[in-house]
Amino acid sequence: MTSKRLLSAYVVVMMVFLALPIAVVIPSAFSAGSDLSFPPQGFSLKWFAAILERPAILAAAWNSAAIAVVATAVSLVVGTLSAFALRRYRFPGRAALATLFMTPLVFPAIVLAAAIAMVLAPLGLIRTFQGLVLAHIVIVLPYVVRTVSATLAEIDKAWEEAALTLGASPWEGFRTITLPLLRPGLVAGATFSLIISFDEFTISLFLVGSGMMTLPIEMYNYAEFSLDPTLAAVSTLLILLTTLAVLAVERTVGLGKQFA
Amino acid sequence: MSTNAKGVSLAGIVKWYGKVQAVRGVDLDVAPGEMVSLLGPSGCGKTTTLRMIAGLEVPDAGEIRIGDARANDVPPWKRNIGMVFQNYALFPHKTVAENIAYGLVMRRLPRAEIATRVADAMRQVQLSGLDDRVPSQLSGGQRQRVALARALVTRPDVLLFDEPLAALDRKLREQMQVEIRQLQRAVGITTIFVTHDQDEALTLSDRIVVMEGGRIVQSGTPGEIYERPGSHFVSDFIGMMNALRATVLGREGDGRLRVRMEPGGRELLVTGPAGMDAGAAVELMLRPEKVRLNPPAAPGTIEATGTVAHVVYLGPVTYLHVRTADGVLIAMLPNAEGGGAQPRQGEAVSIGWRAADMVCFAPPDDA
Ligand SMILES: Nc1ncnc2c1ncn2[C@@H]1O[C@H](COP(=O)(O)OP(=O)(O)OP(=O)(O)O)[C@@H](O)[C@H]1O
Ligand SMILES: [Mg+2]
Repeated sequence: MTSKRLLSAYVVVMMVFLALPIAVVIPSAFSAGSDLSFPPQGFSLKWFAAILERPAILAAAWNSAAIAVVATAVSLVVGTLSAFALRRYRFPGRAALATLFMTPLVFPAIVLAAAIAMVLAPLGLIRTFQGLVLAHIVIVLPYVVRTVSATLAEIDKAWEEAALTLGASPWEGFRTITLPLLRPGLVAGATFSLIISFDEFTISLFLVGSGMMTLPIEMYNYAEFSLDPTLAAVSTLLILLTTLAVLAVERTVGLGKQFA
Repeated sequence: MSTNAKGVSLAGIVKWYGKVQAVRGVDLDVAPGEMVSLLGPSGCGKTTTLRMIAGLEVPDAGEIRIGDARANDVPPWKRNIGMVFQNYALFPHKTVAENIAYGLVMRRLPRAEIATRVADAMRQVQLSGLDDRVPSQLSGGQRQRVALARALVTRPDVLLFDEPLAALDRKLREQMQVEIRQLQRAVGITTIFVTHDQDEALTLSDRIVVMEGGRIVQSGTPGEIYERPGSHFVSDFIGMMNALRATVLGREGDGRLRVRMEPGGRELLVTGPAGMDAGAAVELMLRPEKVRLNPPAAPGTIEATGTVAHVVYLGPVTYLHVRTADGVLIAMLPNAEGGGAQPRQGEAVSIGWRAADMVCFAPPDDA
């Protein structure tokens, strides 16, 4: 009995702890005052309007969105093909390749950042959109490979073979059987990929520069000079977007499965 | 439809998986409209052989012909076959009707024709009304029927089964065996059925092909395979057998072998394969149903007395394990109407069998 009550208390404390930053940031965005302090003074929407007067933030947001979309699109194609190769075929070096795909997940981000910068610099890709996209592909690909291959593991090879014996070419079989069954993994992988790319800081820091900023870094720069609730307003919008995306995934495919 | 059924022929088929030779030179001719079972123990290459006929595996040597055409280089989707997989392999995201329609959709038939053919097929396998269920909402027997309908609805040249009934309980399995056989006869389709269940092979087949270690060891009608097994392996694999040890003494003028049973020392004449020298150890195989209780004296009948060591009652029949001077023999006795008394354990009995019902084989290598 007591242990059960202790557990409940623990859960409540943890939830408060995790939610605290959000509980602070959202009210701050609606503050009528002019510094980033808690509790907020009064209520207004002026800081949301203020975002529109910051072209640097808008441009960075646009860059981040474009990078996230392109990196995700490429990762979905490459990740799906890789997951297929790793799951369905036996070839020399398969285990090594599988490990290689997962390294960005466990490598210290700062080491990876330096390494990527050293590769991209001689290619003239620093401070370019393409360079950022390439770097983000490296970061998000493991998530796509992971979610897709977890889903692929549930797809019986016999279903694809049954399609072949019924007159479907391999491509038709893939399109009508494998792809629809793969959709939950693709949706989940794409969602993670979009969120992670949009939020990426460490590696992008080595690759951005004037004229090519991403939103997290632009926000960091902004915070260095002025701590007004504009940042809280931007953060609130990001929280809203992320929540909507996660809810959409949960509704369509169920997130729990991807972590089970 | 039986008029355009196509035969299948395999010549010298070999298949390697890495260093494992799964199929070691299989020759097999299946006549148009014939139902053939591939029967054998686990790992003998049945599935591999079937998958090569389907085109899902490519043979390393040999030729596969379907009808008059060489099929080796024809991919599965162009072979016009139907296959029922071991776990049915129904598409989980499609309804029963969509599953059955799949092959017709891939053949780009007009919608109206697809609808009528699917409805016909569903009626044929007694699935009408289940159109909109998905596979997870079906019982094992219903899934089996969907798989069957899906394979048949495209009017394939050949129908292939890979142990489709293994997952069903015994009663349903026996019922499906009869249904599959009736449907196969009605459609007249050439059928190859993989199983490791001898009863299934006996029930279903025009012809049984027994495989061992990647090779065909015997091919014949169920009666031939059961009554005249060609090797120790086949006789032991199909049905129950008494295996009695004996030593060859020599060959008679009429070709029969004179053997001495061990223990017991009884001498008798049996038919046996060529190339058995005096002194060779052999086993005499005898079906339990050929052993009779209190046999009438007749020429050629071998009699023995012994005590009942064990009794197995199985409803229609009882098996008696009788310990005699010739070793332990199992006798299968029909249970008389009204449950007449069978001998009990420990009772002294007299049994007999005809020497002509015994077949002599060299014992298996590992014996
Ligand atoms: N994909 C594969 N890779 C490697 N070896 C295989 C493969 N498929 C089958 N084998 C091997 O080939 C041999 C024949 O296998 P096969 O599946 O044809 O046997 P089977 O007669 O169908 O047995 P079962 O009754 O157990 O299904 C076995 O030794 C098996 O281990
Ligand atoms: Mg098999």
